[in-house]
Amino acid sequence: MSKHQIHLDINGRAHDASVEGRLTLCDFLRGDAGYTGVHVGCEHGVCGACTVMLDGLAVRSCLMLAVQADGCSVTTVEGLCSGDGALHPVQQTLREEHGLQCGFCTPGVVMTLAALTQGEQKPSSETLINAMSGHICRCTGYQGIRRAALRLAGEALAPVEDHG
Amino acid sequence: MKPAPFDYYAPSTVEEACGLLAEAGGGATILAGGQTLMPLLALRMSQPFLLVDINRIAALKGISRSAGSTRIGPITRQNEAIADATLGSAQPLLVTAVKHVGHHQTRNRGTIGGSIALGEPAAELPATSVALGASVEVRSAKRGKRRIAAEELYLGPYATALEFDELVTDIHVPEWPTGTRWMFRELAQRPGDFALVGLSGAITVQDGKVSKAGLAWFGMGPTPIKARQAEAALLGQSLDRLDHAAIAELAVADTAPFDDHRATSEYRRTVGRRMFARALRETLEAKA
Amino acid sequence: MNQPEARTDRYIGKRQARSEDLRLLTGRGVYTDDVSLPGMLQVAFHRSPVARGLIRSIDTSAARELPGVFAVLTAQDLERYQPNMLSFFLAPPVVPVPLLAVDRVCYVGDPVAMVIAQDRYIAEDAAGLITVEYEEEAPVVTLDDARQGPLVHPGTESNVAAATGADELDPDLEELLNSAPHLEVIEMKHQRISQSPMEPRGVVAAPQGSGEMTVYLSCQGPQLAARWFSQAFDLPQTTFRVISKDVGGSFGLKGQPWREETAVVAAALILGRPLKWIEDRLENLTSANQAREQDMKLRVAFDLEGNLIASHADYGINNGAYPHGADSNIAVMMFLWAAHKLPAFNFSAKGWFSNTVGLGAYRGPWALESLAREVLLDRAARKLKIDPIELRRKTLITRADQPTMTPMGLALEDISPAECLEELLKKVDVAAFRIEQAEARKQGRYLGLGFATYIEPTAGTAGVIVLISESCHIRIEPTGKVSAVVSTHSQGHGTQTTMAQVIAERLGVPFEDVTVYEDDSSRGGYGSGAYGSRQAVAGGGACIRAADLMADKIRAIAAHVFEARPEDVFIRGGKVHILGAREQVYSLRDIADVAYAEPERLPEGMEAGLETQYRYCPPALTLTSAAHACVVEVDVDTGFVRILRWVSSEDVGNMINPAVVEGQVAGGLAQAIGQVLFEEVSYDARGNPTAVTYKDYMLPTIFDVPVFEYLHGASAPSQTEGGFRGVGEGGCIVGPPTLVNAIADALAPFGELKLEFPLTPPRLLELIEGRPMGRRHG
Repeated sequence: MSKHQIHLDINGRAHDASVEGRLTLCDFLRGDAGYTGVHVGCEHGVCGACTVMLDGLAVRSCLMLAVQADGCSVTTVEGLCSGDGALHPVQQTLREEHGLQCGFCTPGVVMTLAALTQGEQKPSSETLINAMSGHICRCTGYQGIRRAALRLAGEALAPVEDHG
Repeated sequence: MKPAPFDYYAPSTVEEACGLLAEAGGGATILAGGQTLMPLLALRMSQPFLLVDINRIAALKGISRSAGSTRIGPITRQNEAIADATLGSAQPLLVTAVKHVGHHQTRNRGTIGGSIALGEPAAELPATSVALGASVEVRSAKRGKRRIAAEELYLGPYATALEFDELVTDIHVPEWPTGTRWMFRELAQRPGDFALVGLSGAITVQDGKVSKAGLAWFGMGPTPIKARQAEAALLGQSLDRLDHAAIAELAVADTAPFDDHRATSEYRRTVGRRMFARALRETLEAKA
Repeated sequence: MNQPEARTDRYIGKRQARSEDLRLLTGRGVYTDDVSLPGMLQVAFHRSPVARGLIRSIDTSAARELPGVFAVLTAQDLERYQPNMLSFFLAPPVVPVPLLAVDRVCYVGDPVAMVIAQDRYIAEDAAGLITVEYEEEAPVVTLDDARQGPLVHPGTESNVAAATGADELDPDLEELLNSAPHLEVIEMKHQRISQSPMEPRGVVAAPQGSGEMTVYLSCQGPQLAARWFSQAFDLPQTTFRVISKDVGGSFGLKGQPWREETAVVAAALILGRPLKWIEDRLENLTSANQAREQDMKLRVAFDLEGNLIASHADYGINNGAYPHGADSNIAVMMFLWAAHKLPAFNFSAKGWFSNTVGLGAYRGPWALESLAREVLLDRAARKLKIDPIELRRKTLITRADQPTMTPMGLALEDISPAECLEELLKKVDVAAFRIEQAEARKQGRYLGLGFATYIEPTAGTAGVIVLISESCHIRIEPTGKVSAVVSTHSQGHGTQTTMAQVIAERLGVPFEDVTVYEDDSSRGGYGSGAYGSRQAVAGGGACIRAADLMADKIRAIAAHVFEARPEDVFIRGGKVHILGAREQVYSLRDIADVAYAEPERLPEGMEAGLETQYRYCPPALTLTSAAHACVVEVDVDTGFVRILRWVSSEDVGNMINPAVVEGQVAGGLAQAIGQVLFEEVSYDARGNPTAVTYKDYMLPTIFDVPVFEYLHGASAPSQTEGGFRGVGEGGCIVGPPTLVNAIADALAPFGELKLEFPLTPPRLLELIEGRPMGRRHG
């Protein structure tokens, strides 16, 4: 079984490691690199909990090998906070919209939304909601996730009614 | 769900890759986008001795046009293909089909060549390749180059005419004449699911008559199914005298759908017939 | 009593942003797989590929020799620590449940051996090198198989795991049914469901010397789990401490430890090393206890005006080989007609063993009662030519009819499904919809409107020792900060936030000053954690009482020390205000300083410090009521269902946090949609599970779940401390009938819906086309 030296950037820091060929990127990020914010929900690329940014693109880290990330730049959910601990706009919006309950699918959701809202231009709500179809949430029924996606696309929401 | 042990190598040239495949004598598997292969490795349904990662081979990239054909590098990412202006104007049906493949996240890694070479019967790109009359150019260390028409590529579910030591180096998609209308429909329970029924087609209309037709089903048999009888029936027909229902019947006649976990063959034929008739009507009623 | 005055002091009823979100959104949660200990080894199981058979031999030699493998254990190796595999209710199992298969295997996935290795990759390699010889036997798979086939467990008298009700039909009841002006009969088959939380099961068992075992467990209640381990293992000299910080959903699956988790604990006791087992998704879909596989024949006699005369239910539920607790699911029968005026009812309910994965709880385990009843009422309405809403108005027990007692002996005092329905009808214009529906039909479009009402038992305690109470310990530190250890537990419930809201309001302190801990069985007192929609009621009640005791103590100290009258002392915004000629304001820290450092200044006889606790026993049952409606369009070319609108009208009593309440309803409704349209755990005739990945076990995505509307107009406070009602399971109970009735309404012109779930496109197309669409595989 082959072993490989890899050098990559994770959350803005250089990282060197020696990995087996078969080690998946998500297991590498969680174990070797210590980023347990990357969650493993299915290991076959359906649930989206393991989503990270690879060179700025949202990818399922359970469907990549660690060795394939050699020379790449990876961002996990831990890398989104600014230095002073303020939440990234995606994280802030999801919190305000009660877009999470157990939090297990959440890092993946955050990373896809963060990847798509990186540019100058706001993506359309259609783009964001289509991308959300690649995430399975068992807790929330997607209500808050949908509202967060609409807000991140710059759309105004009907206010949530408060009840007496 | 961890993969069984394997050796991994990422060659930088086609020659190197082909050499490895030949040496491995069938014990190697090509890693392109990995979106289908990784789950198979995780479930240990695939246990190669060697994984040949072709993602670093520059010669396998790129999109270009020449002499009425579009050449697509097999490791072109699906999302790259969707965003590519050249492809958008030269192959709109292909771009439409790619938009239906998987999810945004899988399209960031999944490749055009990977999907075409896999031969999943319910997948969009193999059927679209068959409909458009595409072909793949493949190379092996021992036998050099050869070209396989999409029509001849697919032998059964996940079974293609590719030999164990062959690597797809180019995908050639002929450009269809001006006046071609595109037809693409997919019925899946959730976005990104395997299609229950799908069809992909190109119909060229000149002087109010059908001059060329390429139509293929997905999810309607063990391979993409070329709707030959429907194509033949369409040729030469003038648009205002088309019997859409009859042609749909002919289109379904070529299919051999399965009963599986998701749907029965009778369901697929029933829905397929309707889908085809409606798609044909809508495509040919639209202005080009 | 401390009365909050300013709006800023009110937290109960507020859509408070959750405190746990700050760690969960930034990837700083600690789920079981995030726990790493020095010397920790990883476990993988070798599982049976056959559903039933004798084990002739097990060869682990090749596995043991693989580099990186520490040990390979079989049932023999675990013998000295074989626990009594208790149910959630701490009752012994009706058939012995081994940790690893002993001499026979009982389902595909039955764990036969466990590999302990330096990492999971190697452990799986080694598990693949174990060879087991089986003498295969024909398995008992379905309920019908179980009724007719050979014994699943040798030595038992039959395959009946549990039975309630009466086998013999009551002649008087039969007379009522058979002579009725209208008899409605439905037969339904409900598919098996996997709870499928996004985080599968997991455990890290860390022995610490000979007397301590710390178990990091993905569970619903660390206190209950610790008690379960202690009782199950019966090791008086060993203390079990269970830690469970963040859990990625459970929905009933993780209510108690089961075979694999307990095998890991046993192995850790034997090997003296920390051991980790994280269930993967393949295991979760094929070997974790599952739910909902049932059948029922329900007969109901009506008069021609739609009044209920009598009913009989014949019910079966597949218990699999090793259920968490053998169950005939009597709650189905208790709630089937509880909210309706039905004079005569009897039933037979049986749980059946089979060679499949065992039964576990799933959100609203008795939910079939609502599905069967609401579907049947709609059918009867169509046949009797009575409006389905009128039929409910006729048969439902209203507030004016209470207090009353159901035929099964349930006391009803404050249910309101009829009132919830009236509230719902203010927002759903049925007449307008019927016009729209008729117009659409002319254009070949089929819209449907479905209703359902139900009542839900929440925070039930009666006769269930593990559910009697919940506790809250509050202390105010010498820094003035408030911390509380509560016996609640969140797997997404947000109890760290909701309990803090309750404490903050009752105490008069800012929400940000309260920290709630609920993750460690060594802290605080016993509670069951999440179970039976109980936490707002039971946990909330405990927090109210403990906070009131603390507020009283603070005010008594302030009054004494600052020579004021107790009625002039208020706590507001975290400050102690003393009214008088000149208002004095002190911080909680000032009071804490006295209480901890100058106890001689306290009132005579008062205990030092600022620590209070209360163990709250909620009433035997708190009932929640609701009525839901949804509008669908069924595409008659394809059999696809699109949900256009969904409105929920609930009586959830007082709400601690409306966003949390609505989140619970929404989550349950999404699961209902999954259950009705997509999800199915199925077995082939040889007992092989056929939906082993998420490609085949289909969960609803964002496109499948509509935006929900919530009405709380019918809400009335309950009789509990706080006036709360439980809401955790309701969406999953009332959701399926709401959707099924809408689909049935849409397709009424084509005939009656066959009650086989899920209602996949081919099944619906079969009804629409009026001809068979063939049989699906698997």
